[in-house]
Amino acid sequence: MPSSASVRVAPLENATSALSGAQMMHANPYRPWPARITSIQQLTATEKLFEFRFVDERIREAFRHEPGQFVEVSIFGVGEAPISISSSPSKGGFIELCVRRAGEFTQRLHEMQCGDVVGIRGPYGHPFPFDEMKGHDILLVAGGLGIAPLRSLINNIHDERSEFGNVTIIYGSKNPGEVMFRDQFEMWRHRQDFDLYLTVDNPDDTWDGEVGLVTAPFAHLDIDAGNTYGAVCGPPVMYKFVVEEMRKKGISYDHIYMSFERHMKCGMGKCGHCQIGHQYCCIDGPVFNYWEAKNIQGSM
Amino acid sequence: MAKSANIPRVVLVGLASCFGCQINITNVEKHLMEVLGQIDMRYWQLTSSDPMPERMDVAVIEGAVTTQEAKDTVERLRERADVVVTIGACANTAGIPGLALRGYDGRQQEVYGSHVPSLVEDDAIAPQAVHGVIEVDYEVACCPIDALDFVRTLQSALYGSNAYRRTSTLCGECKRNERGCFFGRETLCLGLVTRSGCGAKCPNLGRPCNGCAGLSPDANVESARKAAERSNIDVAAFDGALEIFNMTGLGEQRV
Amino acid sequence: MLYRVINADELPALIDAFMEDYEVIAPVARGRSFAFEPIESFDDIVLDYPTTLTSLKKYYLPARETLFEFNTGGSGEGIEAYELTVKPRVLFGAHACDVNAMNNLNLVFDDARYPDPYYEAHRKATMIVGISCSPTSTCFCHLLESDEVRSGYDLFLTDIGGRYFVSIGSVEAANILEAACDPREATDEDRGAFRKVTRARQAAFDEDIPHIQEIPMLMDAFHSDAFWDELGGRCLSCTACSSVCPTCYCFDIVDVLDPSGKTGRRDRVWDACTSPQFALVTGGHNFRDSARERVRHRMYHKLNGFNSQHGRYLCVGCGRCVRACKADISPIEVLRFFEEKGADDAE
Repeated sequence: MPSSASVRVAPLENATSALSGAQMMHANPYRPWPARITSIQQLTATEKLFEFRFVDERIREAFRHEPGQFVEVSIFGVGEAPISISSSPSKGGFIELCVRRAGEFTQRLHEMQCGDVVGIRGPYGHPFPFDEMKGHDILLVAGGLGIAPLRSLINNIHDERSEFGNVTIIYGSKNPGEVMFRDQFEMWRHRQDFDLYLTVDNPDDTWDGEVGLVTAPFAHLDIDAGNTYGAVCGPPVMYKFVVEEMRKKGISYDHIYMSFERHMKCGMGKCGHCQIGHQYCCIDGPVFNYWEAKNIQGSM
Repeated sequence: MAKSANIPRVVLVGLASCFGCQINITNVEKHLMEVLGQIDMRYWQLTSSDPMPERMDVAVIEGAVTTQEAKDTVERLRERADVVVTIGACANTAGIPGLALRGYDGRQQEVYGSHVPSLVEDDAIAPQAVHGVIEVDYEVACCPIDALDFVRTLQSALYGSNAYRRTSTLCGECKRNERGCFFGRETLCLGLVTRSGCGAKCPNLGRPCNGCAGLSPDANVESARKAAERSNIDVAAFDGALEIFNMTGLGEQRV
Repeated sequence: MLYRVINADELPALIDAFMEDYEVIAPVARGRSFAFEPIESFDDIVLDYPTTLTSLKKYYLPARETLFEFNTGGSGEGIEAYELTVKPRVLFGAHACDVNAMNNLNLVFDDARYPDPYYEAHRKATMIVGISCSPTSTCFCHLLESDEVRSGYDLFLTDIGGRYFVSIGSVEAANILEAACDPREATDEDRGAFRKVTRARQAAFDEDIPHIQEIPMLMDAFHSDAFWDELGGRCLSCTACSSVCPTCYCFDIVDVLDPSGKTGRRDRVWDACTSPQFALVTGGHNFRDSARERVRHRMYHKLNGFNSQHGRYLCVGCGRCVRACKADISPIEVLRFFEEKGADDAE
């Protein structure tokens, strides 16, 4: 006899199943899981850093991410948005998302308070090759909000600092007021954990960093190219120029990693919105190495 | 624009139109109370004579701008409201009132002879869509509007929505209804250039699209004309039909 | 593949047997075209239909499908209890291209990492019965390796004149076939007839549609050609192509509030990469801002991108978009462009 087939979605309080968190997430990957805002930090006029903790213990346990991955955040009625994870996997139990107020969804998120609950599913995406990067020098280049996914990698490297050689961060912003995580980065520079180049397009009277494009510091950068991994994230126009500089320094194609922005709507390689050429930014990326990116039509 | 503490204040103003869109809103009796329960309806010409408030969260405008008074009204609404929503073809494209645009100069003399009433002479202006006068945040398309579409748009304005507003044209929706094409029967249809979103209701009822949702910003009128030609449809008739709801919108796309 | 032969006059009994326990979807006449619709009886079916206006994908991936329901006001997580149930159904009369199209969709949605429970429910409850066909003037399945189907069906019927050569793909279908009909072993004459009809079909394709080698590589090589300006310049941005396409699976995910504003649902709805906002990101950057890029991307995915991921063309050459596009944009135009590039007098 033929039988019908069904899909059930149940509220968490009614879920009596003995499934593990991983099984629950796998059973219906479209279902967001409740996560509570546990901290909000205003970073700039338009950016906030949110800390989220999953309400359900099983999900909290099962959720594991790698640097460079993203999640889909839900505000029911408003919709869903892909947001990259800014915290290091080395710190468990919570995730941090750095969110720019740029549309109706992020506007609503910015209006939320500690204690408010959103839905989160994920994590998604091909991460930075953290283990492969160990034992090497690292050159990170961020432009604007591109610091958000890179911060996950930066913090992860910092937490395992002894595993890496020289680490250099070049971080470009339009204006001094838009520089995020500056105190933390300055502190790490001060402790000589990282080399840090902060650069802005439009300096003000207080600015004591560099002035100009994010590629400017390359002029006086002295790196051991054969032993260096590059990581890049920023606005679409930036990639070409930064990877060119990295190539000029002699870093190998497959040691230059970049995280791309697209509209990852489903996050699972199905909906098509994030396609770049023949690849899906959500599952094949968002982190690609330069060699892969060169082989994708329309990637840069 | 979530006003969690305050109930959002809404006004609904009618300009040059048949008021059919407002009537259509009252036609969702089933849900009207639910919708009104979410807002503080401060002004609604059709239903009450309360004066226009000084501040409001959402201003809903029906009808085209055809007088100086109407122009002043929408400018004032823009100053007083956080969000402006226009409803119906008249407000979005100047619609039927927009037809007066052709040969506008001299029309008053044509109608009234040498004694044009001062009210007409002083106040009447060439018809314009509301977005020709002020910035508009949301548009609810069609003639008349779909009342539930209005409710959803109002909710987007009240609670926010990250759904994108598509500018694709109608044929995709028509094909989802599994309808053959009027062009194949050498019958004029404006779906090729008209903004989608209505669900291709008319073609689904066997009537060609008359373009009431307005020309899509991404409409390829030139390509559509060629398609009409290939289907033995008179291009002049195509252009003429397009004017009914798009006199003000055709702009540079006119030959 | 296991195969048997049944007489043509046994087909009504097979349909009746299906209808006892399944909803039967089959090609029926609709206006001047044909559509897959639920049928009431065998007589509704047009066995020799040329092609349908739209495809069978709506039965696996509905144009709008609710993923779950939610509330917005409560103090809880907001998820409401929701259940989608798909009743058992038979998709009867699918042509080879359409079965291949479903196989392509399976490659996307039947993914070990991210299973799609909604798609899987539809698929699990569905049987597919294919039927042989003769090419129409817009068919080019044979150029994209989709005129034959080797899997993905429960039964496939090939009309060999007064009787059907039946390939049997599942136990469930075999049981029904055996109970409803009198399937017999094929004779040498049946086999000969089968060979003849397949040869006749092969010869019936429109030879004006060029047969091009190395299409995926050509898609890369001519990626910047002015041809795409011309093709994209014609696009009406109407998305009719993807609505009728059996393998366009892209979708959007949207929240829809009920009029009360207190409850709502999350739906997935068909979307199209030829829709102007498809590659738009928050902040306003559109990664495919022109019709040229959008049309090229659609063709690229159909004729190259899917190949590099799954080893086969996504386009199955069914020809529906050829008919649906009023601007005459279709993969056939791309094949013709490559043909011109390869002509002896080409520059």
